Formats: sequence, structure tokens, C-alpha cells
Amino acid sequence: MSQVGPLELAAKAAFYVVAAGTLAGAWAAVSARNLFRAALGLAVALFGVAILYLFLEAEFLAVTQILVYVGAILTLLVFGVMLTARMADPALPRWNRQCWAGLAVAAALGLGLAHLLFHAPWPAPRDVAAPPGLPVLGKTLLSTYLLPFEVLSLLLLGALVGALFIAKKEQA
Amino acid sequence: MIIPLSHVLVVSAGLFALGVFGALTRRNAIGILMAIELILNSANLNLIAFGRARGDAGGEAQVVALLVIGIAAAGAVVGLALVLAIYRHRKTISADEIKLLKG
Repeated sequence: MSQVGPLELAAKAAFYVVAAGTLAGAWAAVSARNLFRAALGLAVALFGVAILYLFLEAEFLAVTQILVYVGAILTLLVFGVMLTARMADPALPRWNRQCWAGLAVAAALGLGLAHLLFHAPWPAPRDVAAPPGLPVLGKTLLSTYLLPFEVLSLLLLGALVGALFIAKKEQA
Repeated sequence: MIIPLSHVLVVSAGLFALGVFGALTRRNAIGILMAIELILNSANLNLIAFGRARGDAGGEAQVVALLVIGIAAAGAVVGLALVLAIYRHRKTISADEIKLLKG
């Protein structure tokens, strides 16, 4: 890869733009005073992660990310926000009293991780031929990982029934 | 891969740090759930990045990431049901006003 074509340069630039957008959305998700705006920031972050999956050539995962996270979990969270929160009440503090301690912990964690990442002696990346395609993925999921797959479906059933039981109206 | 591995990992570390910040400091319980989703996403991003850089011929990294997405969905559902139940009983979902178990 001695020569960098314009297409490759554009792809790199797009990666950094998407990465910055993802982090900005994540910041909005944890800092917005209005919880509905926080949900929108979370949507931006989740979409950004899906696009990052595309950069890493994991197309099926990108589609799943959009279907499950943006389509289902985010809708659920927005429902929860609308059912419970006094959304735009400016009198309510958005963070608790541990705000500065939490910020210090998170900053130390993030900067420490970044430092480690840039100074760790990573093994040289192999020249990987091709990312696994959808047939390979399906075969692995339904042969080697069949047991976790089925356990996950049981877990989802349990979560469904449990959520209904917890959230239903109690009989007086 | 045209993007260096460490750059993807830095994005993931940033997502993780933001998620930890939100989970530690948000007052609203739904905000805490959102932050936890961010943390799970950063873990998934790491899985896929390493799988892409180190060779993932069998697709194991993507399969594990899919399982994590499923578990995150289950967690969000149960967490939201708990939040709704608490809201019905106590008319608040502020995490620092819910201290029933504090002696």
C-alpha cells in the first residue's frame, strides 16, 4: 500500500467524520438535560456504530444493529421517557452529586485506555483475506454456537414474560 | 483494513468512557439505561475490530457480537419494566430518590 488513492483517502476521512459524530452523539446521550434529546443523541451514536461496522466489513452486524438498537431498544427507551419523565423541567439537575467524581473517573479511564492503546505492542495485523460472509456466519451460529443461541432465545422469552409480570398493574 | 486498528479502539474507548460517566452520574434511571447501552456498544465495536484485524475466518467475533446485542435487548426490556414499576409505586425515577434499601 505505497500509493494512497483518492478513494481510499475519502474513505479514511469519512471514517473520522463518522467516529467524531458517534462520540458527539454519545456525549449528547449522557449530558442532555432533556431526556428526549438524550434519546436522539443515543440514536446518532448507535447509527454511527452501525456505520463503523460497515467500515469494518461486518455488514450483517450493521443491519442487525440498526434493526435491534435503533428499531427496537431506542423505541422502547423513548416510550419509557414519555411515560415517566417530566422531560423538559429545567429545575431538575441532570447529574447527581457525584458529577465531578464521575467525570474524573471516566476521563481517567478513557485517557488511560487511549494511552495503553497507542503504546501497546500490538502484533502486526495479518493480511486477512476476506471477512466472513453471511453463509459462514450462519453456519457458525447454528453449529458451533448452537447452545448459546438457544440459551439466548430462552433468555429473551424469560425477559418477555418477566417484563410483563413486573410492569403489569397490580390488583388491589 | 484501511483504518488502523488502534483508531477504532480509541473510538470504542471513548464510547466506553462516556457510558461509564453517564452510568455513574445520571439521575434519571432511563438515562442510566442509555449509558449502559453505550458501554455494550463499545464492547461490540472492540470485538469486531479485533476480529477484522486478526482474522475471523469462522465469523466467531461477529457471532459473539450478535449474542451481546440479544442480551442487551433483554437487559433493556427488564430494566425498563423495573423503571415503570418503580415509577408507578413512587412517582419518581430519580436514582438518588430511590433508597428504599438504605438503612
